[in-house]
Amino acid sequence: MNPLRVAAVFRRIVAQFRRDPRSLALLYIAPLAIIALLGWVLSSAQSTTSNVAVVNESGLPAGAAVATRLEAALDGQPGIVLDRSVADDSTARQMLKDKRLDLVVVLPPDFSLQNRQIELLTLGLNPAGEASVVPAVQKALLSSVAQEAGVALPTIERATVYGSPDATQLDSLAPVVVGFFAYFFVFILTGISFLRERIGGTLERLLATPVSRAEIVLGYSLGFGFFATLQVAVVLAFVLGRLEIPALGPVPAFAIGLGVRTAGNPLIAYLLVLVLGLGAVSLGIFLSTFARTELQILQFIPIVIVPQGLLGGFFWPIEQLPNLLQPVARILPVTYAIDGLRQVMIAGSDLSSPQVLLDLGVLIGIAAVFMALAAATIRREVA
Amino acid sequence: MTIGPNPPAPEPLPSPAVEALGLHKDFGPIHAVDGVDIALPPGRIYGLLGPNGSGKTTLIRLLTGLASATRGRARVLGVDMPSRANLARIGYMTQADGIYPELSVWENLTFFAALYGQTDRADLLKSLEFVELETRTGTPAMQLSGGMRRRLSMACALAHHPAVLFLDEPTVGVDPALRVQFWDHFHRLAADGATLVVSSHVMDEADRCDELLFIRDGHVLAQGAPDDLRARAGTANLETAFLKFATGWTAADSGSSAAGTATVPDAAGPEETDR
Repeated sequence: MNPLRVAAVFRRIVAQFRRDPRSLALLYIAPLAIIALLGWVLSSAQSTTSNVAVVNESGLPAGAAVATRLEAALDGQPGIVLDRSVADDSTARQMLKDKRLDLVVVLPPDFSLQNRQIELLTLGLNPAGEASVVPAVQKALLSSVAQEAGVALPTIERATVYGSPDATQLDSLAPVVVGFFAYFFVFILTGISFLRERIGGTLERLLATPVSRAEIVLGYSLGFGFFATLQVAVVLAFVLGRLEIPALGPVPAFAIGLGVRTAGNPLIAYLLVLVLGLGAVSLGIFLSTFARTELQILQFIPIVIVPQGLLGGFFWPIEQLPNLLQPVARILPVTYAIDGLRQVMIAGSDLSSPQVLLDLGVLIGIAAVFMALAAATIRREVA
Repeated sequence: MTIGPNPPAPEPLPSPAVEALGLHKDFGPIHAVDGVDIALPPGRIYGLLGPNGSGKTTLIRLLTGLASATRGRARVLGVDMPSRANLARIGYMTQADGIYPELSVWENLTFFAALYGQTDRADLLKSLEFVELETRTGTPAMQLSGGMRRRLSMACALAHHPAVLFLDEPTVGVDPALRVQFWDHFHRLAADGATLVVSSHVMDEADRCDELLFIRDGHVLAQGAPDDLRARAGTANLETAFLKFATGWTAADSGSSAAGTATVPDAAGPEETDR
């Protein structure tokens, strides 16, 4: 291992990148644009209103009494617009289909305080969106029936060990996007850079010099690690920071950055993503062996990147995955990065936490394996 | 313009400088190099001549250790190839330019030179002067013409003063005046003790070599000085000589001896670029 040769490879990659504004944009502007879009969608999406109606088909007095109490409870609740004009079940169903109503509470003909079956009716085209109004209606319904029956309901206070119960989707997704983007873009750039090295004849030339395969992989890791480091710094600053820009003339006030709270030390989050990125460098070198064109590098995205997004804890916790997929998820580097990032950013863990140490250790191990694979596939015999 | 091999090792170079012993390279059913035995003494320019797909590039890759032999041995300066340490004494100019298009002329040169431990700026500048690119140091390689890229590629191969130089089609795209300078320089390098193995398909270039190796179908058809080969083939034309040796070998393929002196000149010409 000759440090001068490693340094030469490192300097070359930095010089090459400096001359390549498109790749720099892919590395620094694309993630920010996507994260900003995601943050915008997630933080502004909750201001919708739902049209709710109560239909009382019961001829018994209990039905009318519950309906009145329920309407009083729903009226004026944030996000709920009460429609008192709906008379019967079939009108309600038609209005749901016409999108004039979002949710209907139906008290059936035989409703009484003894037979307390109630129907909550929605359209069913957008289960997640429709479900968002259900808890508020359910709560109002329960208290209406309880008051009518003369029963006092307990008060329930929601609390969490880490973070707060009113944490937004953004708070839990922020650690994920930070890790995922580092992985995705570093993999693509290294894969394509190394492929160019193979098809452009420069690898042949490199291998005709005394440089060793380990020196090449190390120089690449340092070079791309350097840019990945900057990328993670920029992305973390954008996710964690928030800069309010006041209105100026015709430009309205706006904010740069998402301002996500982190409970732990951002430097540890940074370390996790950096190790993840180093693994991605070597994976890119390794997989470039199996590609002949740049298009073929992109063909690895559904094989390499998408499963990590689906299984790595991006959308669902690993524990919720089917039994067969759990072992798969547990060998993916992104899984450990996301877990570690959540531990640090939400639970506030530091390097004294065995969970964070395990995540970091596994990531280092995976990076080492990919480095060995990368070095093994840089053959002197390239053609 | 004094770019000679490194003088610090006064011990005599092992003889021969480049050696192949029963060298074979198969790609599946194809015998790209099919039993080559050569021993090339140092300080001379050797020309590898042969048509497209004759095995010239594969032979060079075997000799530089970039490909591993199916059978036989490749030795350079007395060391069995592949040998990473030995690569420090070898220069290789590939058929593709093998330079980084985003990097400037100077960055390309200093990068490759640094891999050989060569960081002497004044000396590197001399390499650039030799290929007449000294005024282009800051130009990105992608903005150079094809001939300029070829010259940069050559500077990158020479910068560390190798004792053995493999040049695969070095003068493609280089204008005639500079081509003459290149060959003058090759002869100076050889006079200083360097061994050059140059693949080419241009016959007037072949005449500038000290010795030629006619190659076809992975075999060495004939080896000798250009005049000697012409005399043996009984022709004043090297191209005709090649064709005579080529058909001679084809005729003798099922028989006993290779490299004969057959006379029917109707095989494919050697004018195509090797790949």
